[in-house]
Amino acid sequence: MIKSKKFINFILQEGGIGLVLLILIAVFSIAAPRFATVTNFSNIMQQISINTAISVGMTYVILLGGIDLSVGSSLALATILAGKAITNPNLPVGVAIASACLAAVGISMLAGLFNGFVSVRWKIHSFIVTLGMLNMARGAALQISGSRTIFAFPAVFNRFGTMTFFSVIPSIFIIAFVLMVIGHIILRYTVFGRMIYAIGNNEEAVRLSGHNTGIYKISAFVFCGFTVGVAAIMYMLRLNIASPILGVGFELNAIAATVIGGTSMSGGKGSMIGTFLGACIIGVLNNGLLIIGLDDNARQMVTGFIIVFAVVLDTYREKLAKTQKE
Amino acid sequence: MKKFTRVLSVLLVVAVVLGSAGAVLAQDKKPVVGVVLKSLANEFFKTLQEGAEKWAEEDGRYELNIKGMNSETDIDTQLTIMDTFISLGVDMIVLAPADSSALVPSVVKAQQAGIPVVNFDVRLDADQLKAAGLEDFMFVGPDNEEGAYLAGMALAEKLGEGGKVFIIEGNPGADNAIARKAGFDKAVAEGKLELLESSTAHWETEEANTLVANLLTAYPDVQGIMCANDSMVLGAQKAVEAAGRDDILLVGFDNIAAVQELIKEGKVLATVDQFGAEMVQMAIEVGQRVIDGELEPVGWEKTPVELITIEDLE
Amino acid sequence: MNDEPILKLEHVTKAFPGVVALHDVSMAIQRGEVHILVGQNGAGKSSLVKLLTGIYFPDGGEMFFEGEPYAPKSTFDAFQKGIRVVHQEFNLLPYLSIAENIFLEKLPANHGFVDYGKLYRDAEEALKLVGFNIDPRTRVEMLGVAQMQLVEIAKAVFHNSKVLIMDEPTATLTSKEIQTLFGIIETLKRRGVTIIYISHRLQEIYEIGDRVTVLRNGEYVATEPLSSLTVNDLVKLMVGRDIGVAYPFDAEAALGETVLKVENLQVQGGKHPVSFSVRKGEILGISGLVGSGRTETVRALFGADRSAGGQIYLHGRQVQIRSPKDAVRHGLSLLTEDRKSQGVILDMNIAVNMTLADLAKVSKNGFLQQQTETNEANRLVEETGTKTPSVEQVVRNLSGGNQQKVVLGKWLFRDAEVLIFDEPTRGIDVGARYEIYLLLWKLARMGKAIVVVSSDLDELIGISHRMLIFSDGKITGELDRDAFDQEKILSYAYEEYIR
Repeated sequence: MIKSKKFINFILQEGGIGLVLLILIAVFSIAAPRFATVTNFSNIMQQISINTAISVGMTYVILLGGIDLSVGSSLALATILAGKAITNPNLPVGVAIASACLAAVGISMLAGLFNGFVSVRWKIHSFIVTLGMLNMARGAALQISGSRTIFAFPAVFNRFGTMTFFSVIPSIFIIAFVLMVIGHIILRYTVFGRMIYAIGNNEEAVRLSGHNTGIYKISAFVFCGFTVGVAAIMYMLRLNIASPILGVGFELNAIAATVIGGTSMSGGKGSMIGTFLGACIIGVLNNGLLIIGLDDNARQMVTGFIIVFAVVLDTYREKLAKTQKE
Repeated sequence: MKKFTRVLSVLLVVAVVLGSAGAVLAQDKKPVVGVVLKSLANEFFKTLQEGAEKWAEEDGRYELNIKGMNSETDIDTQLTIMDTFISLGVDMIVLAPADSSALVPSVVKAQQAGIPVVNFDVRLDADQLKAAGLEDFMFVGPDNEEGAYLAGMALAEKLGEGGKVFIIEGNPGADNAIARKAGFDKAVAEGKLELLESSTAHWETEEANTLVANLLTAYPDVQGIMCANDSMVLGAQKAVEAAGRDDILLVGFDNIAAVQELIKEGKVLATVDQFGAEMVQMAIEVGQRVIDGELEPVGWEKTPVELITIEDLE
Repeated sequence: MNDEPILKLEHVTKAFPGVVALHDVSMAIQRGEVHILVGQNGAGKSSLVKLLTGIYFPDGGEMFFEGEPYAPKSTFDAFQKGIRVVHQEFNLLPYLSIAENIFLEKLPANHGFVDYGKLYRDAEEALKLVGFNIDPRTRVEMLGVAQMQLVEIAKAVFHNSKVLIMDEPTATLTSKEIQTLFGIIETLKRRGVTIIYISHRLQEIYEIGDRVTVLRNGEYVATEPLSSLTVNDLVKLMVGRDIGVAYPFDAEAALGETVLKVENLQVQGGKHPVSFSVRKGEILGISGLVGSGRTETVRALFGADRSAGGQIYLHGRQVQIRSPKDAVRHGLSLLTEDRKSQGVILDMNIAVNMTLADLAKVSKNGFLQQQTETNEANRLVEETGTKTPSVEQVVRNLSGGNQQKVVLGKWLFRDAEVLIFDEPTRGIDVGARYEIYLLLWKLARMGKAIVVVSSDLDELIGISHRMLIFSDGKITGELDRDAFDQEKILSYAYEEYIR
């Protein structure tokens, strides 16, 4: 009895989310024979890539106790600028693609800089600042594009987007994965990552230890902007369009992945691996529920329930961790 | 968010008043038509707006005052725009309502103020109108069901009896989404197609891409996909392409530029044009005929819908 | 007048882990008197108030109210029985009206709807009782401090409180407002309300008080009519004896040159600029009542709060300190009063906490060298005598004394030259305190300049070379070790409050 309780505690504390993912995959594999196929896993990888990329940045922001609601709109704005650059007939293809990447990453880092600077300088909660940015970026995207979808990208660009490695791994998944690994390394092994955790736990103690906490907070928002810029390019690779109305609700998916992955909304606690698993859970759910034949409404209800359940699990884990220490 | 939109609407009203006052002063001879659109963020309405402006310029009979909002569900802003047009005393209002019920009181108010209102694009709720004393209020607009039926039949003819298809729906509950779904269903029945699955992708490209990719896993034997708008066709087509399936036929609705390209390349079978660029013009002309007493303001004045295939684009 | 006391305490004891807040206290309050409560910081006044109002529950002993056993279960319970506190920080809701605040506990209602007519009539009545002429519809945020206090008092009086406890009611009032308050106290007294009045201001209590009770180190000392005691007698009663902790003090250690010199440092909102200096190897004690400006001064010095002016010299060279970052760069460190919320990161491990102030030493090109960090943390754990199974231990799981050692370790790692300690032994048990004192002395011998702010006078007398005494934002006294004397220090500490 005691032994099994200990085991359950261990699972809950150390591997809760990974376990949920494994259970989901097992259940779907049994329920739908078409689920556990190479092509389907390839599809899932493709489908979680954009959310994974955004969630990497979102994790940094949430670890600091902040939030970024502007990621979806910033992504739309980034695709528009990049779309204008990449379809510019006066540029050689290589230059057009390079400038598109620069434009996407540049504009979304700029938006991140704005979010970070305003919330730090005037001590406004990032919820409000990024809500403002959500509107600003969307408005700018509509204005610049004249509400039009941009398409007809260079063939080589589109071809790279649909490419798979070993005929399984989609190119954009590799980008997302590399981004995730970089995010993980920075968070775990650098001074910057250490400061993110420390500030998220107790900003005042860090400040009184002689650090300028504002710089780190702003940097986290800029990093989040960077991941959004990369995600914008990934979007264009995947769907070969740039549109001012895309990305609506992306912020909620990224927040969900981060929180399901065990990052605490009050900051200071969480991991990049957890976030990645969170994004996987959302993707697998989305895919698996459809394949086993649930209709739209049932899918929506089950997904909502699982998100809440995962967060409940997270607080339960936290409580367990605390009682065990005492 | 609420507050933000409120501030926006106030600014908008000021803009409308100033703009219209200026227009009235500048050329007070022409009748002024207030045009209330839905989301100017939507490519379709953008086309509609630009088409209307171009026509007004060339035609020269009317002064147009075109207003819309930035999101399709922002009913508050539309109500404020209606009020503003009424107090400005424009000569006619053409309205594409964001909500088929919520705008009815505004329409009644305008009619009582002696301003004829032409309802286009989305039809106002019949029961609501009846309750307000406007039985069988005239509607000018495309037959979404007919359009979807045309696209569905184009697909059915290619596939033949027993062809297996998906329907990718628009926003659940939206009037045009419901009508287009009905049109597709009718084509499925008439063409004796087999409907494998009907799901929503909320009009969105990325969502349609994910949905279709997953549906292809569940039903690899699918032969055709009907999408309720062209944005979703873009996502669906990428999913089909990524799956290496060049045997699946797609049809859409809206005739946007990006899909025209795909039709030319043979990657999409057909789409439907509802002549958005001319819709405001048609609404105003119908309104003029009512004012001139040539037409009873009842029933449905259908605007044309037309199937677009590769032959139309070459 | 009824001779039976309205409130009686018999052998009341209240202890917290490591500290006895009240020990065997017996006292009586007479009906209708203004009873003054005095004592140094930590004498047990606030604990007593919390027992009376149902926030704390006694560990031993009994209380009687109007002859009946009295054991309030909550503040609301105490309030219903007739005992109420007017707090230093008011419990008013700023965005509600005066009337709503007065009747918050029980709004007059009619079928679930607030009866505003009755509410405002009653509120007007209540305000009249304290002679406060204002529209009860006014929102509380519009009021000044003195007016808020009147609302609190009106609230207490209208609900027929029999005993009204006032905790430092004059702390933020102007002298004119104080006179108004005293007038109201007189009126209340005539209406038969009993008042327990807590104050540091030894002069003003003579204007209104009938009797005074002195507490010291959680123990009852005496209750006397005020007319029979002078201010000096009171101070003498408040002075504590040595509680038996040994203080390591090395009189032989030589002091070096002046390291830190502060000139005319002006605390934001403070009344007086302060100047002082510390030498190498010296422990400078800073004494004074809570709120006398001790903490504010060291925080401003460290850049934790913005200062309003003044010069700071390190080794004779003027430096600019605008933030803790500047302070740390110049070799200053601050161990804050509130350890848990400002000193340590509770949910991170010892190694992370100890290296926090100097991450450059454990990293290369921005990457943390985890082995170096662990080694360094182990060294610091040993140096500070932190008791822990490993440096991976989360700080939350350590005792208060060990947490304090972790903070100390952080500043040792940074190699700070000037160490400022604000209440270094608060909430730490006697055994661990001694270890902290030893560490302080070790640091002094290493040539650090040390500033210790403390409410514990015995502690400061035990460990300091020199002592500054703050009173109402001003340095009122400076004593060398051989001139340390409890009575003298207390009279300096109360100097500005007696005036």
